[in-house]
Amino acid sequence: MNIEIVTYLLYLAITIGLTIWVAHTLHKNGRIFLVDVFHGNEPLADSVNHLLVVGFYLINLGYVSLALKLGYTISTAKEGIEALSVKVGTVLLVLGAMHFFNLFIFSRMRRRATMRNSPPPVYPDAFTPVQEAA
Amino acid sequence: MPTLTLLYDPSCGLCRRVHGWLAEQPKLVELKMIPIKTDAARRRYPALNHELTSEDLTVISDQGAVYFGPKAWLMVLWALCRYRDWSYRLATPELLPTTRRVVSLISEHRYQISRVAGMSR
Repeated sequence: MNIEIVTYLLYLAITIGLTIWVAHTLHKNGRIFLVDVFHGNEPLADSVNHLLVVGFYLINLGYVSLALKLGYTISTAKEGIEALSVKVGTVLLVLGAMHFFNLFIFSRMRRRATMRNSPPPVYPDAFTPVQEAA
Repeated sequence: MPTLTLLYDPSCGLCRRVHGWLAEQPKLVELKMIPIKTDAARRRYPALNHELTSEDLTVISDQGAVYFGPKAWLMVLWALCRYRDWSYRLATPELLPTTRRVVSLISEHRYQISRVAGMSR
């Protein structure tokens, strides 16, 4: 096995491992958020949670596989590690951006849901009796 | 769904335009519009000072809570799906004075604005 193949395999192992870990974190901790958003409707929360994680996997693994190609030859272990570090770094940044994007979606959904039952923004100036039409 | 009743001035073009815009907006609270100083308004709110309602928009809840002027406009925003967060933003202590000033200015000059914008009858 030459150094290039080792670099590729290491790259795949690290990035796929990281993707699974981030997706798992998202899945585990996002659930509580979603249950709250959907007013305790757990089956619906689980379903939305699962769909979000599937999208997360698709985008990240898609990016990992697109970014696999190096485009130049490496011959020493030093070059291999440097190339690996650049690749893993970009994948980490994409994962991070995706993760924050997911958090943003969660918080927005939650805000929307709590907004529905929120009280008026100001106190009334006065009170008057209301005569309902008969 | 709870209802907010708006007492609006049908003789001002701007108010009629806003009235039409409101009808199309998705709502979190139902809005019911009654023209000011009509029999319907007097019958529904027998104890209200109806002379005051011609000065600025008046909003009244099902329970009889009266919101007048800038507060009434904030309540209208609060009733709309898309603008509820704006109603809180504009009601913060930092922005409320500006909100009051702008709303009062528009209400005071509503006939002139209507005329300039070509919305009067």
